[in-house]
Amino acid sequence: MRSILSLTIALATLFTIKASGNEPAQVVTNNTSREAYAQAINPLSAEERQQFLQGRSLVRQSWIISPAMDNDIAGLGPLYNRNACIACHAKNGRGFAPDGPEESMRAMLVRLSLPGKTHTGAPVPHPAYGDQLQEFGAPGIEAEGRAHLHYEETEVTLNGGETVRLRKPTLKFSGLAYGPLPGNIQTSARIAPAIYGMGLLEAIADDTLLALQAQPKPGSIKGRVNRVWSIEQQQQVIGRFGWKANVATVREQTASALAGDMGLSSHLFPHGNCAERQAACRQAPVSGTPEIPATQLAQMELYQLALAVPSPRHQDDPRVQRGALLFRQAQCAACHLPEIRTSEFPRLAALGNQTIAPYTDLLLHDMGPELADRRPDFSAIGSEWRTPPLWGIGLAKQVEPNAGFLHDGRARTILEAILWHGGEAQESRTMVQKMSPQDRQWLLDFIESL
Amino acid sequence: MASALTIKAALRWPIRILIIWLMLVSQVSLADKAKVVVMTSYPQEVVSQFEAAFEKQYPQYKLEVLWRQSRDAMAYFKESGQPVDVYWTPAQRNFAQLEKMQAFQPLNLDLDGLPAAVNGFALREGNHIATEIAGYGIVSNPQALAKAGLPIPRNWTDLSHPALKGKIALPVPSKVGYAPPLIDILLQGYGWQDGWNLLQAIAANAELVTSGATFVSDDVASGRLLAGLTIDFFTASAIANGAPLQFVYPELTGYSPAHLAIMKNAGNLEGARAFSKFVLSEQGQRLLFHPDIRKLPVRPSVYADKPAAYFNPFENNPAFVYDTRRGLARQEITNALFDAIITFNLPSLQNAVSAIRDASNKSGPDAPAVVKAKQLLHSLPIDEAGAEAIQTLSPADITRWQRIMHDRYEEAIRIASPH
Repeated sequence: MRSILSLTIALATLFTIKASGNEPAQVVTNNTSREAYAQAINPLSAEERQQFLQGRSLVRQSWIISPAMDNDIAGLGPLYNRNACIACHAKNGRGFAPDGPEESMRAMLVRLSLPGKTHTGAPVPHPAYGDQLQEFGAPGIEAEGRAHLHYEETEVTLNGGETVRLRKPTLKFSGLAYGPLPGNIQTSARIAPAIYGMGLLEAIADDTLLALQAQPKPGSIKGRVNRVWSIEQQQQVIGRFGWKANVATVREQTASALAGDMGLSSHLFPHGNCAERQAACRQAPVSGTPEIPATQLAQMELYQLALAVPSPRHQDDPRVQRGALLFRQAQCAACHLPEIRTSEFPRLAALGNQTIAPYTDLLLHDMGPELADRRPDFSAIGSEWRTPPLWGIGLAKQVEPNAGFLHDGRARTILEAILWHGGEAQESRTMVQKMSPQDRQWLLDFIESL
Repeated sequence: MASALTIKAALRWPIRILIIWLMLVSQVSLADKAKVVVMTSYPQEVVSQFEAAFEKQYPQYKLEVLWRQSRDAMAYFKESGQPVDVYWTPAQRNFAQLEKMQAFQPLNLDLDGLPAAVNGFALREGNHIATEIAGYGIVSNPQALAKAGLPIPRNWTDLSHPALKGKIALPVPSKVGYAPPLIDILLQGYGWQDGWNLLQAIAANAELVTSGATFVSDDVASGRLLAGLTIDFFTASAIANGAPLQFVYPELTGYSPAHLAIMKNAGNLEGARAFSKFVLSEQGQRLLFHPDIRKLPVRPSVYADKPAAYFNPFENNPAFVYDTRRGLARQEITNALFDAIITFNLPSLQNAVSAIRDASNKSGPDAPAVVKAKQLLHSLPIDEAGAEAIQTLSPADITRWQRIMHDRYEEAIRIASPH
């Protein structure tokens, strides 16, 4: 009981801690509308606020294929997945998977690679398709092809008799315009993750993550950091963003998505996304060198850094409090950490020295063969995935009714997502399966309250 | 029994072949989904909803969106040589121009249930047809107004009340895409001189909104500003998503349409027809009620399913009908005049209005200095007939108008201010 109380008090008070300035920093928002993921932290200086708004415009912008008169928003493609960030991250929320092979991938993409590693440790891109399948091409440039998700459904019965249908996706391709994919191609279908709270995650010190890695954990849970190549720092660093913690910073994540998903070059990705053997793509007109100037990239970066996180709700509800206890008892909190401290963060001072409740440890965990994509990414192996943050997850369906869960959006509900947990999380999944229906509902109530 | 078995055996191979053929056909259809190329300037929120619903209804097609704003779209149509199937966007001038260029082909769609006009406002012309309309009005923040002890503004004239000084958002028509008709509604509705007088009075209370990063609804929702002149869907969508705002259609209002047309050089005519049919269908029109869209459907029957408090233009019977054709013809001139009278002279204009108000309070409205200063304030660089007679607007004209207004405002300040 004492632990529930202390958790509740911590959750209720942890966000009004003073930042470095005089004004208390508010890194969470009480907004529970469909705009809950689009609110700014406070305080922001006038300059930061202006950058935030400019960044918001760019994140909402539909980009144009070159050549164009509106040159500052041109440069889309020539190969691309979508023409706007919010096409996948609708209202800054998570994406979703198609419900069948006939549906287009609208908030999801497919990563491609060949076995092995590049000199930086990154996956080896396919010479004709690169590291991602782009389903659209500018006029005159052939799109790479289409990916289709086929599902095989199974039924799981839980204690109490409740049955849950789980769908396991299989990828197929059609219309491959640059030749067939080899038999050893490695693929990974991934939905767009939510983009709020990223600044707070970046403000967690490397030492904190290394301490979490070293910390003893219950059962078979381990957890380790991914070591990735930072283009900006030109060295191996700890990864923390992306489904496999395969990107180091919000800026690199943003530049990588602009290049990979929309073909927009920046100083970090000066060549866009044309693969080695895509001659027409390489010769297509560009709107600038790079297409995204450093100022625009900085604005988009700041926008994401400064997006607040929804406050937990219904924390006084006894069912939610009971659910919080069950969350710990089922060892969910061993990876989905309810409390981490950020360190000094000069880029945006308000994010520094905050005690936050992200419900992630940013570490890689082996989630078992059922979730494995068999595609290594830097030091992450196929079955390893970064613990996704759970903060704000209860509003996911309100923001985007189709929102999916897990890396490939196979889970349509939070319960389905739990039932896919394997490997290090197998024990937790079993505990949830064995819970009484009432306890299981309270657990879900707690997660939905975040 | 024997004969049934024989028939079954005889059918076994044809059935198997049929199954294999069906499987192959289904694979081919997946691979060869025909793309429908649609040029638009709609924001992603609109595109996403229509894309998802269209592809669900017509799984044989994949929507490919070419996103371009009005100016760029015209350049693309004139220069690219690449086929576009459908042009679907709120850009009335472009449709008029493309119609003149004979760039469209007949829709050849069943238009049953789609009226040709709403309140005298035409919904189709030539080969293009309106797919939705949006109305102009006033956004306000009722809580913030109540806190300031002010009523909710319901007419354009309410926005000139001195208590709203510094609290009004006014979009600049040369910079904000939806704003030119908004300004011209006041000019047509109140008349040229009175319309400009009112715009000056509103501008005296206003912050100007350009094409920057903030929206009128942002500033009003935050309470930093109390009200603004805007188009309905921005506010309606913000309200649907939780913003503490209210929108009022004043007595004098008008609509801005979005149109659709099938291009003459459409590469996928059947796909173009399917998309056009979908956008105008009951299902497509109902999508306009989505909280992220909130436009006004042109198919009256769907209003039976409208969300609560949704405006239905087919039930509105206004005394004033905005003449879009006239507004479009003089848009460039009115935009330039707005910049000369307001945008580039805002501090002088605001100081002149303040000085005249102070002088009027002190000496009375009929005092000669007040009358003279008001006369200067409201003297326009050109009258309506002169403005409409201009064939080609030169930069020198704009600079001259700007200088004239600056000098008149400064002179008005000098006359009205105590010596």
